[in-house]
Amino acid sequence: MSEKAFLLDTTKCIGCRACQVACKQWNGLPGEQTDFFAGPEYTNPAGLSSITWNYVKFFEVDRTNEEHPVWQIMHMKCFHCEDANCLKVCPERAISKVDGWVVIDQNKCIGCGACVNECIYHVPHIRKSDSKTYKCNACTVNEREIPACAFACPTGALTYGNRTALLQEAQLRLKKYTKAGRDADGNEIAPAFPKAQLYGKDQFSGLKMLMILRDRPSKYGLEENPRPLEITKVEQIHDTYALMSMFTFGIPSLKRAAYRFAKSLANSSDRNRIS
Amino acid sequence: MTNGWNDIQHADVVLLMGSNAAENHPISFKYVTKAQEKGGKLIVVDPRITRSASLADLYAPIRPGTDIAFLSGVINYLLQHDKIQKEYVVEYTNAAYLIDPAFGFNDGIFSGYDAGKKEYNTTTWKYQLDSKGIPKKDRTLQDPNCVYQHMKKHFSRYTPEKLSAITGCPVDTWQKVVDMIASTHKPDRVMTIMYAMGITQHTVGTQNIRCFGILQLLLGNIGLAGGGIQALRGESNVQGSTDYALLWHILPGYNPIPMQKKHQNFKAYLEASTPKTNDPQSINWWSNRPKYVVSMLKAWFGDAATKENNFCYDWLPKAAKAMPYITLFEDMYAGQHKGAIFMGTNPVVGGPNADRIAKALARLDWLVCADLWETDTSVFWKQEGVNSSAIQTEVFLLPMAASMEKEGSVSNSGRWAQWRYAAVNGPGEARSDLWFLDKLFLKLKELYQSDVTNNRACALPDPILKANWNYAGGHHGDEPDVHAVAREINGYTWANKKQVKNFTELKDDGSTACGNWIYSGSYNEDGNNMARRGSKDVGCKIGLYPGWAWSWPMNRRIIYNRASVNRNGEPWNPKKWVVKWTGSAWKGDVVDGGGTAGPAAKNPFIMNPEGVGRLFAGSLADGPFPEHYEPTESPSRNMMSSRDLNPSVKILDSVRGDFGNVAQFPYIGTSYRVTEHWQAGAMTRNLPWLTELVPSMFCEISPELAARKGIQNGDKVRVYSKRGNIEARALVTKRVKALKVNGRDMEMVGLIWHFGHGCAASGDSCNSLTPSVGDANTNIPEFKAFLVDIRKA
Repeated sequence: MSEKAFLLDTTKCIGCRACQVACKQWNGLPGEQTDFFAGPEYTNPAGLSSITWNYVKFFEVDRTNEEHPVWQIMHMKCFHCEDANCLKVCPERAISKVDGWVVIDQNKCIGCGACVNECIYHVPHIRKSDSKTYKCNACTVNEREIPACAFACPTGALTYGNRTALLQEAQLRLKKYTKAGRDADGNEIAPAFPKAQLYGKDQFSGLKMLMILRDRPSKYGLEENPRPLEITKVEQIHDTYALMSMFTFGIPSLKRAAYRFAKSLANSSDRNRIS
Repeated sequence: MTNGWNDIQHADVVLLMGSNAAENHPISFKYVTKAQEKGGKLIVVDPRITRSASLADLYAPIRPGTDIAFLSGVINYLLQHDKIQKEYVVEYTNAAYLIDPAFGFNDGIFSGYDAGKKEYNTTTWKYQLDSKGIPKKDRTLQDPNCVYQHMKKHFSRYTPEKLSAITGCPVDTWQKVVDMIASTHKPDRVMTIMYAMGITQHTVGTQNIRCFGILQLLLGNIGLAGGGIQALRGESNVQGSTDYALLWHILPGYNPIPMQKKHQNFKAYLEASTPKTNDPQSINWWSNRPKYVVSMLKAWFGDAATKENNFCYDWLPKAAKAMPYITLFEDMYAGQHKGAIFMGTNPVVGGPNADRIAKALARLDWLVCADLWETDTSVFWKQEGVNSSAIQTEVFLLPMAASMEKEGSVSNSGRWAQWRYAAVNGPGEARSDLWFLDKLFLKLKELYQSDVTNNRACALPDPILKANWNYAGGHHGDEPDVHAVAREINGYTWANKKQVKNFTELKDDGSTACGNWIYSGSYNEDGNNMARRGSKDVGCKIGLYPGWAWSWPMNRRIIYNRASVNRNGEPWNPKKWVVKWTGSAWKGDVVDGGGTAGPAAKNPFIMNPEGVGRLFAGSLADGPFPEHYEPTESPSRNMMSSRDLNPSVKILDSVRGDFGNVAQFPYIGTSYRVTEHWQAGAMTRNLPWLTELVPSMFCEISPELAARKGIQNGDKVRVYSKRGNIEARALVTKRVKALKVNGRDMEMVGLIWHFGHGCAASGDSCNSLTPSVGDANTNIPEFKAFLVDIRKA
């Protein structure tokens, strides 16, 4: 597992969206045309897109405890999985690891949508204008020392550093958040975030976005034990595709068709379909 | 701000009230979260759940406009349970001072009220003086006339049950807030209070802040690291703008503007504005005022200003009446102005009763808008529904340079003046504000000179022709020299034009010139201290960084720091000391009042003639103690007295009929900001990355109110007030909830006020709804509590 990672501590996130804007600015991405809020709350746009590589997701506020309402706000982007589905499934090998980050090479991408279909986090998106797929590249393409999003975060909710060190830091924080304490007079103080937990330690052999959440990941739409894509199934499709793509003259639309054919062939011969 | 931004990290308790700092001062939350990391607790008191509340350790709801009830209950609790820093209170506040026995309070009115004028005769709001003219004290705090006993009486009326009925905050939640606040009465525990417009923009705004002052003095939190009262300033360099008197009532450095009636001549002005004290323990810094005003006049009028002509005092305009924002635009509406120059301001979106302001602009012969680009105000004349051909106003739009395109200093909320360089020149013909003002003045001078030379009638040319105005020689082209301006502001001796070290060298005899005494020391013979970026810390290493830029006054970082030690000069909180007395000298921050006086010799609150913090403050228009009154448009009678509205609030005759009642407008209206847009929106509604986030005008309502009105999330709605009605999208959210007001559920409609119709992202202006009435002392408009109705559009 390569060195760097992000740590998102949602207990420090103020939902300011500096991360969302910093990414747009650094990568020269246009603003989305929005009408009202996609929701919930201020969430805009509704999710990632080919021109929105990170966004801030607001959840509905939980007022069960009126004196300590829980309003989860979460920075969302590509998790840069160690064992990434998208990387495995790409028929053109357009997706690879760059310094450990999962990066799409648009020069090789044919916009077939395989990665779009296999990413359980709905990260990559095809851009209509050039039929290529885009997502966060951890600022490895337009290079900088610290990715724009982490650099912009004012409270340190989103930080960037050595993954091992961040993991240690996360464990320390979780201990603090979930433990009851004592105040200056010796009275007991309830734990700040009794249900806090970490996401990203082991999913897909480890995510490069470690997240401290206020509650179970499933509450925030995150699959707790996702099953990575089976390599044998993928290889089947790729073998067929490799053969067929010899007759596509390098034309992306023909390549896309070839991929669709290869996939349907593989799925028809096997119960374990790929989506 | 008494303490500065980075000092917030040292707080044991952060009270965020009348502020939504996470959204509107997001960088400050870096320090709030640091405080929490160190075990500090964040309390957020707000009518709704905001992004600030999402990080709170404790959230308490409050009805807009009821802060005094909430906080007076806290004051009452601290007094009843003796949760005060006793030694600090006795030594450093006027708790022990005896008040005139004729002082009184009854049914919402203090002694001396003139109902006709809506003013107080404050002769009874004074200290009893001894034979030497020094206030009498009872340091045992028992005398029924002492401030402490008056307070106990006054605040005892704010019981938890009463304030809960007024504010809508449940008693046990309020009690938890109190317990956290009260814990900081210990000398080594400290609370900081962060506040902004949420608590100032009310007809009782000043008294709201007075509650903070009283609290922090009782708790002994002023002058200490992690303590203080933190006013979170808004617009970039609004701190600079108030320091340099871009307000009608002051001269640079917070000297009062001369008033026609009171200050007929310089002697009368100085007499009336220079406080005296007979108390040898009081430094009474404003006794130096003559030095500062004379030096300012010398800077402005140079050789023309002599002792014989009172340094040209007669050339200063004298105010005939108070001229705050609301009055200004009412006068404009009445046709009293020929023209106006608006520099970086957008009143048709940002001002109260905004539709009326737009009509007022139509009365002008000419309007100059100096802005980065077209704003809603600059195109007020071509809005939908407006008959442009009927508007005779000639509008000039001047392109101005943005902050990266000009050189100069910006003063942050912590009083740090940080010098900036121009990174690039402005595009096209864009000019700096300095260039515009310099050229405007020089052109006026030229025109006046021409009139004089040609014997044409000309009213009072001398103040223009004889002004000391030499700022040529800037960094490129015909740009004025901003360093020349900064050097004049610092001050210099007139004879040899050498910079003064700081304001202790200023004189009242015309031998020194100084543009703004509080900035004296910022650019002296050492150089431009505002441009320094030293990172060395001093003393206890709490982040004072005296070598980073320069803060007024005297590069002091935490003001009232003399109160952070006891009379032996020992810090109340040794772990985070700000200053300490070695026996012969002070260490740490720059100590209040000068380094020669030891802790026992002088009192710490040097800007008061008595030298101690005022729990009883007789200088305010509406009372020496805060008292709860309802907002001008209120859903409820006042449960504390028969006075619904602050008795010192004056409503202008011209808008007397523009107020509604709860029968017509059954919901509480309030206005606020979001992170994604900036103030009146001219800076942000043209930026696609920001309009992606917040594309349209919206209001926030509870699911209950939405259900009652058949409104779904995202629906278009119309919101009505007595002054106008607007369209908005409805954000239906659980973060808004009805509050129990005197037992009755009151719903609220919260509106953002960033929108208008002059930029790429367009929408109706919230301020079409807000009222033309303001605080009794400052007249800041009551943007935060009014009455509305809402209907699906």
